[in-house]
Amino acid sequence: MKGRGTGDRTKATPPGSLGFSGPPGQNRTRQRRKIWVVQGLIALSLILGMQLLNMVAGNLVMPTPLSVLRQAIDMWADGTMGWALWESLAVLGAGFGLAATSGVFSGILLGGIPFLGRVFAPFVTAMNSTPGAAFIPLIIVWFGLYTEAKIVLVWHAAFFPILISTAAGISTANRDLTEMAQSFGAGRRVLFWQVMVPDALPSILSGLRIGAAVSTVGTVIAELTMAQSGLGGLMIAAGNRFQMDRYFAVVVVLMALGTLISLGLRQAERRFARWRVVMAEAR
Amino acid sequence: MGEAALISLQHVGKSFKEGTLQVLDGISFDVRAGEFVSVVGPSGCGKTTLLRLINGLLAPDQGTVRVKGAAPVPNSDLAMVFQSARLLPWRTVAGNIDFVLALRRLSRKDSAARTMALLGAVGLRDFADAYPHELSGGMQSRVGLARALAVEPQVLLMDEPFAALDAMTRETLRAELLRLWSRRRMAVVFVTHDIDEAILLSQRIILLRPRPGRIEEIVSVDLPEPRWQNDPRGLPAFAQLRGHLWGRIQGMARDGVALEDLARAFPETEGQPRAEG
Repeated sequence: MKGRGTGDRTKATPPGSLGFSGPPGQNRTRQRRKIWVVQGLIALSLILGMQLLNMVAGNLVMPTPLSVLRQAIDMWADGTMGWALWESLAVLGAGFGLAATSGVFSGILLGGIPFLGRVFAPFVTAMNSTPGAAFIPLIIVWFGLYTEAKIVLVWHAAFFPILISTAAGISTANRDLTEMAQSFGAGRRVLFWQVMVPDALPSILSGLRIGAAVSTVGTVIAELTMAQSGLGGLMIAAGNRFQMDRYFAVVVVLMALGTLISLGLRQAERRFARWRVVMAEAR
Repeated sequence: MGEAALISLQHVGKSFKEGTLQVLDGISFDVRAGEFVSVVGPSGCGKTTLLRLINGLLAPDQGTVRVKGAAPVPNSDLAMVFQSARLLPWRTVAGNIDFVLALRRLSRKDSAARTMALLGAVGLRDFADAYPHELSGGMQSRVGLARALAVEPQVLLMDEPFAALDAMTRETLRAELLRLWSRRRMAVVFVTHDIDEAILLSQRIILLRPRPGRIEEIVSVDLPEPRWQNDPRGLPAFAQLRGHLWGRIQGMARDGVALEDLARAFPETEGQPRAEG
C-alpha cells in the first residue's frame, strides 16, 4: 500500500539507478548495438571518402588517411604534438579556471541580490553580445601577445556564459523550497547557501559546460591570432605550408580534446544534478 | 476558551496587490493547545494565507495574530506541512530532516537519533538514505510530516497535505496522522477543501466563505474517539454534519457567490508572494 504512486515514478528513472532488467533492457542493448554499427559505418565511409577525394583531387585538397596517421605518429613521437597539447591545455585550463571561479562567484552575487542583477543586466548583455574577436586588439595592447593575453582572451570568452546561467539559476530558485525553509525559520544565509545555491547547481553546471566549449574555441583563436603556439599554432603553421596531412593530424587532436571535455562535464552534470533530470522526466 | 488559547486571531484582515485584493476579512478564532481544527472552504477563500499568517511568514493588515501570546515568527513552536512535500531534492530523507533540526540548533548527535526515531514513526526507517525522487508521493508526504514533527512543534500547520495523493494512500496517512496526534497532542490547524476529511479528523471545523475570506460558521465535531479505530463515516452524526456543512456551502452559492468563478478569479491567491525577510 505504501507505494501506490511509485509505478509511474520508477518508470521515469534512467537506466542504472533503479535498473529494470528483462525484455526492455534487452531491447535497449540491441538498439545500442545497432547504433554502434551504423556509427562505425559512417566513420568508415568518411575515411573512405577522404581516400577517394585524394585519388580524384590530389594531396593538396585531401591527404590520404594513412598519411595523416603517419604524420600523427611522427608528431607524437618527436614530441611536437605533446608539447603543443600541453601549451594549449595550459592556456585553456588557466583561462577556463579563472572564468569558472569568477563567473560562478559573480553569477551568485548578481542572481542572489536582485538590485545588483538589475543594475548590471544591460552591461552583461552588451558584453555578452559583442563578438569575442572584437576585444582581441585591445587585449593585445593591454596584455601583449603571449600566454597572459591568451588566458585573458579565453577568460573573456567563457566568463559571461557562466555568469549568465549561474545568475539565472539562482534568481529562479524554487519558490516552494525557499518558502518551506523560511517557514522553518531559515535565515538569509541558510536560505541562500543551503537552498538557493544547491537548487541552482544544475544551471551552474550547464553554464560551465558551455563555458568549457567556448574556452576551447577561444584557446585556438588566441593561438591563431596572437603569438602562434599550441595546437592552434601548429595547425596554422601546417596549413600555411600546405602540409595537409600534418594539419589534419592536429585537427583530429583538437576534435578529441573538445569531445573529451564536453563528455567529462556532462558526466559531472549527471552526477551532481541527477535528481533534476529525474524530476523533469517524472513531470 | 480565551485563557487557554494557544493561537488567537482577532479581526484579522489581509489584502494583496496594494490593498486591491482583499483575501481575508474579520477572521477571529482561537485554537487551544492540543486541539485539532480544520479550516474548510472553497478555493480562493484565503486558507493558505491564513496558515501563513499563523506561521508568521506574513503579517496581517488588520487585527492581531497571537501564538502563545506573542506575534508569531517562523521559528516559534510551529511547523508547516505542505501539499507537495517540498523536500530538498539534493538531500536524502534523513538529510531533509537534519536540515530543519539544524535550523532549530540541535546538536548533531541528538539530531541523528531523533531523525531515525521519527522515520520509524512514519514507517520509513529503511529509507533514511534514499533521495526524495526515489520515493512515491505518499512516502514523500510522510517525510514532510516527519520533518514537521521533528521540531516538536506545539502547533502543526497543514496545508491540504493529502490533496495530491491517491485515495488509498490518503486514507492510510489520515489514520497515521490521527494516531500521531493522539500520542503527541500538538495543536493542528488543518486546511482542506474536503469536507469529509475535515469531519473525519477534527474536533472543530471553521467554515470559510470566499471573497474576501470570512468565517461562515464554526462547527464542533462530536464523534467518538479514537477515530482511527472506529471509522465515524457510518454514523448518523457524521452524515448529519456532512449534510449541514454542504447545506451551508450551497447556501453560499445561492447568495450569489459563484464558487467556480471565484476559484478562477483568484488563481494566484494560494501562491501570493511572501513578505520579504
